[in-house]
Amino acid sequence: MDFAFSPDQQLLRSTARAFLDEHVTPAVVRALWDDPRGERDDLWKEMARLGWLGLALPEAHGGSALGMVETAIVLEELGRVVCPGPYLETVVAAHGLQHAGSPAQQARWLPAIAAGSARATVALLDAELDWRPEATETRAERTLDGVRLTGVKQWVTWAHVADVLLVPARGPEGLSLFLVEAGAEGLDVSPVSAMDPGMRWSTVRLDGVRVGPGARLGEAGAAAGVLDDLLRRGAVGAAGMMLGAARRCLDMSVAYAKVREQFGQPIGSFQAIRHRCAEMLLEVENAHAATYYAAWAQDADAEDATLAASVAKAYVSEATRKVCGEAIQVHGGIGFTWEFDLHLYFKRAKALEASWGDADYHRELVVRHVTR
Amino acid sequence: MDLRYSSEDLRFREATRRWLETQVPREEPATLEARRAWHRQLYDAGYVGMGWPVAYGGRGATPLQQAIVADEMARTGAPAPINPLGIAIVGPTIIVHGTEAQKRRYLRKILTAEELWCQLYSEPNAGSDLASLGTRAEDRGDHFVVNGQKIWTSGGLVADWGLLLARTDTAVAKHKGISCFLIAMHQPGVEVRPLRQITGSAHFSEVFMTDARVEKTDLVGRLGQGWEIAQTTLSYERGGSSLARVTRYAAAFRQLLRAVRTLQRGDRPLLEDPTVRAKLGRIYVDLEVQRYAALRILSALEKGESPGPAASITKLSYSEFEKRYHELVQEILGPWGQVMSAADDFAEVDTSSGEPGTWATAFLWSRAGTIYAGSSEIQKNIIGERVLGLPKEARADRMRS
Repeated sequence: MDFAFSPDQQLLRSTARAFLDEHVTPAVVRALWDDPRGERDDLWKEMARLGWLGLALPEAHGGSALGMVETAIVLEELGRVVCPGPYLETVVAAHGLQHAGSPAQQARWLPAIAAGSARATVALLDAELDWRPEATETRAERTLDGVRLTGVKQWVTWAHVADVLLVPARGPEGLSLFLVEAGAEGLDVSPVSAMDPGMRWSTVRLDGVRVGPGARLGEAGAAAGVLDDLLRRGAVGAAGMMLGAARRCLDMSVAYAKVREQFGQPIGSFQAIRHRCAEMLLEVENAHAATYYAAWAQDADAEDATLAASVAKAYVSEATRKVCGEAIQVHGGIGFTWEFDLHLYFKRAKALEASWGDADYHRELVVRHVTR
Repeated sequence: MDLRYSSEDLRFREATRRWLETQVPREEPATLEARRAWHRQLYDAGYVGMGWPVAYGGRGATPLQQAIVADEMARTGAPAPINPLGIAIVGPTIIVHGTEAQKRRYLRKILTAEELWCQLYSEPNAGSDLASLGTRAEDRGDHFVVNGQKIWTSGGLVADWGLLLARTDTAVAKHKGISCFLIAMHQPGVEVRPLRQITGSAHFSEVFMTDARVEKTDLVGRLGQGWEIAQTTLSYERGGSSLARVTRYAAAFRQLLRAVRTLQRGDRPLLEDPTVRAKLGRIYVDLEVQRYAALRILSALEKGESPGPAASITKLSYSEFEKRYHELVQEILGPWGQVMSAADDFAEVDTSSGEPGTWATAFLWSRAGTIYAGSSEIQKNIIGERVLGLPKEARADRMRS
């Protein structure tokens, strides 16, 4: 029974923190808001060089064969600096390729992902705001030489920079998953402007996009299980990023409460502020336990791995919402300004809350799990 | 990070479960003597005072083994040991601060429940501000004489002995003038009156001391060391039976699932109602996080780390969770949740209080946890000051002292 990180895991975290504190400063994050890509290739390459993109991939594909715990550590650190870019999307898609992909698909994409020369994303939502795989309406029609995909995918994160998209579609055999490469004919990616300028969403239209016979990921009609797996990992990963954001907001609030004076005293000496900070710490510690329990459960293939992922996403979403919001309250007016960095976290928390299955969806999954 | 139990822990759990399954009495022991007999059976099997050092009759068991036993007891519905305050607080206090003579005189009888103990701390005018307590202990040469009133004394009605905080010096700052004593409850100067709680039962009491006698040899530690001793005492009260607590929450949740499968709304079970499902999901998510947090604490304890002030996070977390839990249960069950005597089998639940009862009893008990052993407000002060390092509040009594 050991809930502590190993020395290697601690080293991974301290290396990540040092790199990100130096290279992904708030100024860097803000400079990318007006950038059409919203992320930087040199940073991406550097993340690959640090081994983050192949962290959980097999060594044969250029990875380090580590797991979700290590991935969550990196994600927590990325969340701590509100790092923009498709890291979570890419590692989740890579996980899908690793577990459902053919040798050819793996050889085509995994080394490129590990090396930082390819990005990927997953298109989970169709027209309706329904996270269940069975709600997929996008159609897959068989043609003489492959499959033709038609439909609309909404709220796809970082689709505009992805080299490959994982697209679920419904065909004669049922629900299947397809790899669609950027630039395919009939593929239209339209960015949607949203609250968090560091998080990029797109509407992806597939207007009879033709993919070859080698583009199907996994067995025909068997995508539901793969999609559950992707959503599960995405949920744990999002929890990791939210945890990083929440802990940073707590740290900023405590530091501020120690120095900001009103009525001749630091505001942290007032119970109204101190108790708020104590509640924030409680949420952060519980979020930590939930995130890393779930990450460990994925790696250990524990019998409650599915349950734990949903618990983590549901709990950490609400905990982070509360902590990032309370941080603004502790700071007062300065916390509501554009120049101060708190809104970066507040907005990222909201964006992640609405990604990879929201808390309502994951709570429903939990109820289904416990009433089976 | 590896959250699996070792094969040794699994064997220990298995052996504990087998023992409990064959030994747990079929009916809740009704009399004090029956409960004492069960306690003695647990003690003889090595399941009482497990964390105490071997030299004092304990087992020197690891925190995880203690948690496993408590957990298996919760799972099998085993009645609790009878002397909880003696074992969790008084015994460890004597072990750390007591004289050799005190250790020889008291410790074994605490473990065997031959002598039952209560804790005489809170007073009508000294609750969260415990250090302002007014009960006086005067030195009369060969003994002390105690006058004052204590309140919220759990188990006071059956206790043979009490761990007492009383003021021995009024000339110094309030934290420095308090001493810690062991006081015999069966004497003319001690009167115990039951206090009924909002559940209707009387688990605690008021204790009036009028010229009560305490022997000189029953001073614990030095004169004036009482506050310091109480601080370590309070820390023993937090964090202990973490896994067992979650197991009881889960057992109650299974009862709740039976209820929502039985009760109907609109020709379908409540379980199929989306608003009910949302609440069930909210409870279970929260409950699982309590479990993960408990494992994290246990892992730290296993490494010999002392949770220290961080134990306040655990106490705050579970006590506030219990309130959220039972508020949602009440919303789901409506008037069914308010039944005080179990007519239907799904109405009887584990109230996590040691008191058997219904959802209504459990709901009422959920208000206790955020008050006893340091209220949520006190826990937040501790977290703010000692974990987060926020500045102390300017307080009138601190300015004086």
